Amino acid sequence: MISLQSVSKLYNEGRPNEVQALRDIDLEIAPRAVTVFKGPSGSGKTTLLSIVGCMARPSTGRVFVDGQMVSGLPEKFLTEQRRTTFGFVFQRFNLIRGLSVLENVMLPAVPLGPDHAALRRRALDRLEQLGLGAKADMKVEYLSGGETQRAAIARALINDARILIADEPTANLDTELTHRFLEIVAALRDEGRTVIMTSHDPRIWEADMVNAVIEMQDGRISGAFA
Amino acid sequence: MTPFLRRQRALADYTLAALARRRGKNLALVVIFSVIVFVVASAMLFSAALQREADLVLAEAPELIVQQLVLGRQDLIAETEIAKLTAIRGVTAAKGRLWGYFYDRISGANYTVMVPDDPAMMPEPGTVAVGEGIPRARGFTFAQAPLFLSRWPGELQKFAVARTFDSDSALVSSDLVLMAESDFRRFFEVPPGVYTDIAVSIRNPREIATIVEKATRAMPAARFVTRDDIARTYQKLFSWREGLLVALAGAAILAFAIFAAEKASGLSAEEAREIGVLKAIGWDSSDVIAMKLWEGALIAIGAFLIGTVAAYLHVFGTGAALFAPVLKGWSVIYPDFRLAPQIDGMQLTALFLITVVPYVAATLVPIWRAASADPDQIMR
Repeated sequence: MISLQSVSKLYNEGRPNEVQALRDIDLEIAPRAVTVFKGPSGSGKTTLLSIVGCMARPSTGRVFVDGQMVSGLPEKFLTEQRRTTFGFVFQRFNLIRGLSVLENVMLPAVPLGPDHAALRRRALDRLEQLGLGAKADMKVEYLSGGETQRAAIARALINDARILIADEPTANLDTELTHRFLEIVAALRDEGRTVIMTSHDPRIWEADMVNAVIEMQDGRISGAFA
Repeated sequence: MTPFLRRQRALADYTLAALARRRGKNLALVVIFSVIVFVVASAMLFSAALQREADLVLAEAPELIVQQLVLGRQDLIAETEIAKLTAIRGVTAAKGRLWGYFYDRISGANYTVMVPDDPAMMPEPGTVAVGEGIPRARGFTFAQAPLFLSRWPGELQKFAVARTFDSDSALVSSDLVLMAESDFRRFFEVPPGVYTDIAVSIRNPREIATIVEKATRAMPAARFVTRDDIARTYQKLFSWREGLLVALAGAAILAFAIFAAEKASGLSAEEAREIGVLKAIGWDSSDVIAMKLWEGALIAIGAFLIGTVAAYLHVFGTGAALFAPVLKGWSVIYPDFRLAPQIDGMQLTALFLITVVPYVAATLVPIWRAASADPDQIMR
């Protein structure tokens, strides 16, 4: 369970270019479910996702993950949370060019100093599950859009994250690949994982497997649907 | 393997994979860095080797040399002076020496002509022993070629070459011609009973000052040159040569400073983005810094090793082929010899500290700034 209490976020505080990205957000996100933040550009979806995923701290308010308050934790502990609890799929996927698919997938585990052979096996299994086993040694820049996204999902799950965070995951995908992505998300939810996404793609928030949709406008929650 | 070592191995693996992506850029970096280390290390190794050569030469030199002065210039010294010196307590031996310079108009070179002190080195009358530079200067094409010496047009004396010195002692013997005493006196028209100078052996080197004081009273017109004086002269000679190399090394270090400053001035947008991605997927600032330390260390230590080994081969394998013509010049006779391998650990450590450490530090400064940035920047 993720819980936010009176969360606000200001960027460039006290400067002429100050932006209030979030205003007084109270929210509870159910575990083992798929939650989507929807809303127009600039509504605060991505900022909310960053705060939920321990990538940024709120300016005011509190964030709890499984009952533990994480909003006041020092950077080192936030990193630990990102590493062990969350897996991230970015809008542009942000795979590291020049490295192979396998190397990219193993990347989040590198600082943990795992047994190399075991990590490699785990990464290959994950790629196999996502239908990318044959492309493990290919450089990521040669993958198609759908393959890149699946590689990003494999990377997000390499540390066995309980919560998958995805920012506009279908922004650059056609309908068929979007459906393929939704199938993967449904399978992850069925495995007992929590999936939190932002999207302004109706194909996502109208999908049957989505459990909750949070609508945002100007940094506030303007509606919630189950 | 402990978790710490496994982590370091995983970071090093990633760093190698990351370096391989920009192969051209990183190879260029290693090449530039290696060249700088090569120049500085060559200078250091060459200076140390020359210094060692000088020390070897001086180890054989007499403790004191006595010269006769006339009008402030060195003149021949009478054999009778030897008795005055041997009478001084503490002097174990005093021996007249015969040596001089000969300008060879054929090759345009100056030779040092000597009668050796050591009877084992003494050539038979009519023969000479020569340094390796002389057959080269003369362009001898066969081993038994005689040496003709002519002091003025129309005069010619022939000597058989009994021996050519090998290259080990070439720094000072390259231009040397050793002759029998009778040949020397005849060739230079030096009358019997006089010498060029007198070499004095002293039992206790700490008594040299006292002996010089007593000898000065006995021979007020003479000049006394101690081994320390010669050492100082050599030191000045080698210091001047070293000075040239230091200037060269200084230029190389300046180039290195510019190179390191460029590295410290910032990260490329791609590098900054990558650090953001790594942080976002769960790398800590310390992980990013450790990875970049590996990167800096792999480049810098790799280049240091390449540069140092290349410098070693250059100085001791090729006899410092790139520097030698400028730095070892002995008029027209360049000594052709192999410097004895000599490594000064302190110098190498200093070289390591002034190249590897600043480079790695310069690499870290911008990384530190980027690694401390919020990971959510990658989301925006």
